[in-house]
Amino acid sequence: MKLYDQIFNVVKTFKKLFSPGPVTNADVSGSITSEIFLIVSLLMSALLLRHLSILLTGLVLLILAVVLITNIPLIPKFKIEQEDSLEKMLFYAIVTLGIIVAFMYWGGNFV
Amino acid sequence: MNELIPLMVIVPMIAALLLSAFSKFDKVIKVLAFVVAFCLPIIPLVSNYGLHYFGGYQPVLEPITNMTYHPAITYSFNFMQQIFIAIIGLLTFLVIFIYLTKYKKVSGPYLFLVFMGTAAVTALILTDDIFNMFVFFEILALAQVGIVAASSIDYSYEMALKYMILGSIGSPIMLLGIGFLLALTGSVNITDIVLAIRSGIVNFKSPVFLISLGLIFFGWLYASGLPPFHTIKSGIYSKAEPHGAALLQSFTVISMISIVLILFRVYSVLPIFEVLIVLFSVLAMILGVSLALTQTDFRRMIGFLAVGELGFIGLGIGLGTQFSITAGLFQALNEIVITALLFIGFGAIVNATNEVDTRKLGGLLAYHPKVSIMLLIGGLAMAGVPPLSGFQSKLMLVQASLSCGYPELSILAIMVSIATFVVFVKTFYSMFLRPKPHDLDVVTKDVPRAMIFAMAVLLIIVIAFGLFPDVVTNGISQYVGGMIH
Repeated sequence: MKLYDQIFNVVKTFKKLFSPGPVTNADVSGSITSEIFLIVSLLMSALLLRHLSILLTGLVLLILAVVLITNIPLIPKFKIEQEDSLEKMLFYAIVTLGIIVAFMYWGGNFV
Repeated sequence: MNELIPLMVIVPMIAALLLSAFSKFDKVIKVLAFVVAFCLPIIPLVSNYGLHYFGGYQPVLEPITNMTYHPAITYSFNFMQQIFIAIIGLLTFLVIFIYLTKYKKVSGPYLFLVFMGTAAVTALILTDDIFNMFVFFEILALAQVGIVAASSIDYSYEMALKYMILGSIGSPIMLLGIGFLLALTGSVNITDIVLAIRSGIVNFKSPVFLISLGLIFFGWLYASGLPPFHTIKSGIYSKAEPHGAALLQSFTVISMISIVLILFRVYSVLPIFEVLIVLFSVLAMILGVSLALTQTDFRRMIGFLAVGELGFIGLGIGLGTQFSITAGLFQALNEIVITALLFIGFGAIVNATNEVDTRKLGGLLAYHPKVSIMLLIGGLAMAGVPPLSGFQSKLMLVQASLSCGYPELSILAIMVSIATFVVFVKTFYSMFLRPKPHDLDVVTKDVPRAMIFAMAVLLIIVIAFGLFPDVVTNGISQYVGGMIH
C-alpha cells in the first residue's frame, strides 16, 4: 500500500491546487493507472531504438527505467507542465520547433 | 457531373455569407441553414469522381521535358474524398439540426462560422494545390477560434485567444515551408511538385527541401493538435458548446489527414519523414491517454482521448504501407463519428445537470437510459471493443505495425486501447452507475430529441462500419494504392 498512499497524498495536494473537491478512490486508481501506463509506454517506445543500435537501446532503457521509477509519481509533474498556461504552451511549441530543425539538420544526413 | 466538385466548397461558403448577411431575419436563416445543411452530405454522394480545374485551365504538356504542368488550382475527387466529405456533411447537418432546435433565436454569425469551417475542411481534402491548402487552413483556424469564442462557457474567449496566438506561430512557419518548396520546385501544384522530385529535377537531399519539411511539419502539428499542441486542442474542445466540439474535432481530423497526405506525397522519399510522424504519433497516444486518465472534467477527458486517438491515425500513415495508411484513414473516419457521438452525448448530460465534474455526478442511468446506453456503446467503440468500428480500424493498425516489423508499436497500440477503456469505464461508472449525490440537481429530465436523433444516427454508422468495414476500406485502399505507387 505504500505506492497507493504515496499517490493518494500527491493527488490530494494537487486537487487542492487544480480542482478543489474530495479525493475519491477513482481519482487515485486513475492516477496509479496513468502512472504505470506512462512508465511502461515510454519504455516500450524506447524499444524502437533497437532499429538504430541494440547497445543504445539497452542503455537508454536502463537509464529511462531508473529515472522514471525514482521520480514516481510522474503524472502530477506532467500535469503541471501541461496546464493551460500560454507561457508553457509557447515554450514547448518553440522547443519542439527547435527539436524538429535539429532532427532535420542531423537526421537529414541519414537520408 | 464534375461541376458538383467545386460546389461542395462553394455551397457552404455562399450559405455562410448569406446567413451572416441576413442574420436579422430569424426564420429565413433557420430555413436556409437547414436546407443547405441537408444538401451537404448529398452533394458528394451524387457527384462523379474526377478532377476539376478552376478557370478551365487544362494541364499543359511541356514539349522539351515532355512533362505535364497544372496551371489551374485543381480539385481531385475520389472515393476517399467522397466518404470523408459525406461524413463531414452529415455531421454538419446534425450539428446545425441540434443548434436550430436548441435556440429559439439563432445567431447568423455562428452559423457563418460553422458553414465556413465545413467549406474550409472540404476544400482542404479536395485541393491539389499546396497554397490553396494553406489559405483554407487559415480560414479553418479562424472559424475554429470563432466557434469556441461564441460558446457561452466560462473562459471560452481566453482559450480561443490562446489558440489564435499559438496559431500565429504555427501558420507563418508553415507558410515559410511552403515558400521554400515553391522556391525549389517553381510550382504550388502538388502533382507537379511530386513529379519534379521523382524525376530528379529537385534534389531531395538539399537542405532547403529538408527545412521545408521541418517547417510544414510543424504547421501540421498545430493543425492536428499533436504534441506540443495537444493541451490547447483538448482545451478548445472543452470550451466549445458540445455540438460545436463535435464539429471542431472532425475539422481537426480532416485537416490532419488532408495535410499529412499532401506531406506524404511530397516527402515520402525521405525516410526521416515517416520517423517524424511515428515519433509524434506515439507521443500523442501516450500523453493524450495518460492525461485523460487524470481528468475530472469529462469534456476535457474526451478532448485528451480525441488527441490520443489522433496518434493512431498518425501511426498508420507513418508506417507508410498501403495497408497501414488505409487503416489510418479508416481510423480517422471512425474517430470523427465516435468522438462526435461522445461529445454530443456528454453534452446532453451537461444540458441536464449543468455539471461537468465527474466527482459530483452519479446515478444518471435512471434519468437518461437512452443517452447512457448510446454513450456506453460509443465509449466501447472508441476503446476498440468488437464488433464496433473502432475495433476494426485498431485491429488493422495492430496488424499493419506487426507486418512492418514493429511489434512494440502493436503492443503500445493495444495498451493505449486498454487505457482508453479504463478511462471510459471509470467515467461511465462515476456518472451513470454509482448512487446519485444528494446535492445533484437534474435540471431538465428530457434530453433534447435532436441530440438523441444525432446520437442514434452516429451510432448506426459506428455499428455499420464495425460489421461491414470492407465497404469503406476497399475504396480507401484503392485510393491509397494509387497514391503511393
